[in-house]
Amino acid sequence: MKVLMVCSGGMSSAIVVKAIKQEADKQGFPLEIKAVGTGEFEEELKTGGYDLAIVAPQVKHRMDVFKEQASSANVPIELIVPMGYTPIGAPKVLEQIKKHVK
Amino acid sequence: MEKFLQWIEAKFMPPMAKLAEQRHLRAIRDGIISTLSLIIVGSFFIIVAQPPVKAWSDAIAPNAGKILIPFRLTTGLMALYAAYGMGYSLAKSYKLDGVSGGVLSLAAFLLLTIPVNVDAVLTAAQKAGVKGAAPIGGWVLPMANLGGAGMFGAILAMIFAVETLRLLKKYHVTIKMPEQVPESVARSFEALIPAAVIIVVVWFIRVWLNFDIQKFLMDVFKPIQNVAGNSIWGVIVPIFLITLLWAAGIHGVSVIGSILRPFWLVALEQNAQAAAAGTASTQLPNLVPEQFFQWFVWIGGSGATLALCILMVFSKSEYLKRVGRFSIVPGIFNINEPIIFGVPIVMNPILSIPFIIAPLVTGIVSYIASAAGLVGRFTVLAPWTLPAPFGAYAATNGSWAAAILTIVNIGIALVIYYPFFKMYEKKMLAEEHAAANNQLSM
Repeated sequence: MKVLMVCSGGMSSAIVVKAIKQEADKQGFPLEIKAVGTGEFEEELKTGGYDLAIVAPQVKHRMDVFKEQASSANVPIELIVPMGYTPIGAPKVLEQIKKHVK
Repeated sequence: MEKFLQWIEAKFMPPMAKLAEQRHLRAIRDGIISTLSLIIVGSFFIIVAQPPVKAWSDAIAPNAGKILIPFRLTTGLMALYAAYGMGYSLAKSYKLDGVSGGVLSLAAFLLLTIPVNVDAVLTAAQKAGVKGAAPIGGWVLPMANLGGAGMFGAILAMIFAVETLRLLKKYHVTIKMPEQVPESVARSFEALIPAAVIIVVVWFIRVWLNFDIQKFLMDVFKPIQNVAGNSIWGVIVPIFLITLLWAAGIHGVSVIGSILRPFWLVALEQNAQAAAAGTASTQLPNLVPEQFFQWFVWIGGSGATLALCILMVFSKSEYLKRVGRFSIVPGIFNINEPIIFGVPIVMNPILSIPFIIAPLVTGIVSYIASAAGLVGRFTVLAPWTLPAPFGAYAATNGSWAAAILTIVNIGIALVIYYPFFKMYEKKMLAEEHAAANNQLSM
């Protein structure tokens, strides 16, 4: 499964992404996940062939814009639960991701 | 406090977020962000031209002019780059061609400045024996209004250009070619009318009415500029709003910065120009560009959370200790989402109080220190992920006092966070204890 995470600058999400990837490996769940800042989101979504986009909680005020960009790229999108956005919250986010497995 | 936080999330945050997401403000923000890499690199040439050690700066002095050229052509032209970037973003947001929007904005912006031919003056100077004077054989564009001073002009030119493009397209004001004409040719004619309208209108206003839009805008925005870039209110209000938004879980700098960043950048550019002209670091015109917050206040990230991180690493609560441990390294590099969402600080009635108070206090202390000339003022846009003392040192072009002030501010934040941290720790310990007992009895 290929997932794109967006946060403000792509910095904090890099930390979370690493933890989610580790958690997925631990559970034997095939996952490819990448983090970008808000500026690169639309372009990456269009060209990357993603199955799901997830949004960091601190940029939830831009959710409408992300939703529009995701729907034009035909990718489902979900907001990460606040407590999931930490290294130890990775299992929670992975659960959110797994819900979208087709 | 809990009620207050709920009120913020329900009532205060939505309109602020909506404002920051307003189409034109978003275009301004994204366009300006696209220029930051140039400004970061360009402003570092000031450090090279004026190194903090006197012996070096004396050695470099004869070549300082050459070293400053990259600075002059990046930071010194920031409005020029921003005009393109903002026009591109705004056009994109209307699903128009981004490059057309960018180019038309750039043209509208450049038309605000009248080129001059200085050959006659230079020839006269040459005849009078001025060293280095020689005619350059052509027209020159004065750069003064292409940098920070032109930022508001760039914003207005960009909005005018892209809105003209959009409206003309919307109402089909285009040159209709006969059907036999190939489509690509027809489309190139389509872009002609917007370009003609934009050029003629701006040219008429600027040249024939002789209305200096740049100067007018600078005069209009001067009072706001002075408050935002130079006053104690320019410190207190943004800190308060940004930490409030973060306490509700929203990236405060991303919201408030959208509105204030043009002012902060103009303030920084004025400082950089003054520094390039040889003004001492403690005498620079503006106290509060964005770097003031970045290096003196947001130590460890918004809310000055590095202090909290330190307290948590030594916590008796297993959970807080764990969060502290994985947050401390990102915290040193000013990334604090792990701590904000881990502790969490978001919607936390106890810890959101020092999260707001500590930056306010360190902000006010730093403003006083800066106004008194105890620490250097900011000229350089240093990457925000530098640890605070290094960032402050680099961004003030080598003020040791500024680096020391960051350490003092961490100490102040420690003191302010401590009682609230203890209160929260007690609560967490009680919960952990209860959980452990539950497990035992099971």
